[in-house]
Amino acid sequence: MSPLARFRRQWFFWLITAALYFFLLGPIFAIALASLEGKQTYHFQFPPEALSLAWYGKIPHKYVHALGVSVAVASITACLSTLIGGMAAIGLVRGGLRRSDTLQAFFNVPLQVPLVVTGVVFLQFYNQFAILTGIDFLGSLLGLVIVHVFITIPYSIGTIGSVLMRVNPRLEEAARTLGGSEWSIFRRVLLPVVKPGIFAGLFYGFIVSFGDVPTAVFIASGEFVTLPVEIFQTLQFDFDPAVLALSTIVVILSVILILFMQKVVGLDLVLPSGKR
Amino acid sequence: MKAIVARHRSGARPRWHLFLWAPLAISAALLILPQASFVWMSFHKNLGMGLVSDTLVLDNYLRILSDPFYLGSLWLTFRLSLEATVFALILGFPAAYCLARARSSWVSLLVVLLLISSFVTIVIKVLGLSLVLGQEGVVNQFLQAVGIVSEPLRLLNNSSGVVIGLVQYTLPFLVMLLFGVVQTIPVSLEEAAELHGASRASTIRRVIVPLALPGLIAGGLMTFNLNMGAFTSAVLLGGGKVLTLPVLIQRKIFLDVDYPLAACLATVLVVLVFLFNVASVLLLRWNMRSQRPS
Repeated sequence: MSPLARFRRQWFFWLITAALYFFLLGPIFAIALASLEGKQTYHFQFPPEALSLAWYGKIPHKYVHALGVSVAVASITACLSTLIGGMAAIGLVRGGLRRSDTLQAFFNVPLQVPLVVTGVVFLQFYNQFAILTGIDFLGSLLGLVIVHVFITIPYSIGTIGSVLMRVNPRLEEAARTLGGSEWSIFRRVLLPVVKPGIFAGLFYGFIVSFGDVPTAVFIASGEFVTLPVEIFQTLQFDFDPAVLALSTIVVILSVILILFMQKVVGLDLVLPSGKR
Repeated sequence: MKAIVARHRSGARPRWHLFLWAPLAISAALLILPQASFVWMSFHKNLGMGLVSDTLVLDNYLRILSDPFYLGSLWLTFRLSLEATVFALILGFPAAYCLARARSSWVSLLVVLLLISSFVTIVIKVLGLSLVLGQEGVVNQFLQAVGIVSEPLRLLNNSSGVVIGLVQYTLPFLVMLLFGVVQTIPVSLEEAAELHGASRASTIRRVIVPLALPGLIAGGLMTFNLNMGAFTSAVLLGGGKVLTLPVLIQRKIFLDVDYPLAACLATVLVVLVFLFNVASVLLLRWNMRSQRPS
């Protein structure tokens, strides 16, 4: 059957698909267009009346600071959760333990708990911890990183684990037969083959941490407020057109990051699957 | 060579499982310590000003399960999550089907677009929705210009706004999951059905949907779970008027500083989501068993 004939038989499905893309991407384009509206007051106008980049120069300092906080938190989170998740994945896939399914399910529990609940749970835990020990994680960089590591470990276990499962264990056996020590097998055989999984894990850790609102809204305060929380507060209580310009910049950065990851590790590893 | 073989045989296998213990300890500590102190908190009484009683009480749970206000919130959360799940499946499945069956290089671009939509932070997507859904937004302008509605629809600060936001939030994840599901259904089965004279509609109804059913249920379940816990879109698009459980939890913390009740609501939410998952897994198993010819 020719592609055209197939398309004609499924035109209704394609119509829904088009509607879906319009629905998913339209609002993001609306932000980009509205950010270029020089006379912006409150409403989004289409087409824009006066094109200008004026709002891009008027982004308040607190948002730029928050962007820095977000990038810092997301980078540290990505590294820690990839390290922890990677170790767990090697243990789960190559450890030869009989109960590894149960353990895997245990590691995935953070995905089953709604993020708001995780946020409230850690808020209260930090409170009680501060009362007991005098160390206050609330409103600190470390406090945010701990929560984000907790919610992102399952992602890096998923990406690194799925790469490991595809790699033939004979590769390591061959290295061992040839006299490789444990350390050199790890460093020169295992590590190179799981590299795409590590990149994908870093990517997930970064992007999940960077986009998080429901947990950070409870933990972040004072000097260390992440960008999504700052935008969330702005939208909840007042409105500043500069947020549109800022959001456009964040979207462009996210798109660059996603395209870069897709080039580096390929689409199938970046796609979230139902298992994770 | 002999020495190497000997070492190999003598069980010098790398002990990879040793890697597991540190992550396991960290995960367990991060999961069990906070959760346990949290559930413990939900059995205490609020004394105001963030102070809680020393005695254990069931008051909070009794209050939630008897007060019509909290029961109403539970029901609202459930209803909106279900509505959003149904809409997401109706939109998501045909799209996933098209993407999985199309044999064109455009497909990977379309998948990347889905990926972008799913990874742009939710606040920004909500901001975009609030731009286009307002009384004078493009959606209402379009609907009025075409003549579908005579007065602008209220699509923000009410439950329809929340449902739209939930669908926007979950749809890319759902489509990516169903994309994988449809790929596992061989095209040859559809072609066989059509060769034997089945119409397009009956092929969809009697071949594709039954084969995709486990995937549809799994996807629907994932979507429902995400919806039940959805916070950002519920707060911002509901405009503080749509009090689902996640919104109530936030209000109890920030407005009323009633930590025990917030803990209790959160525990109820987690237990509900968990029970719902268990119930649907059981239902699915029972369904598959009853379909199997004996």
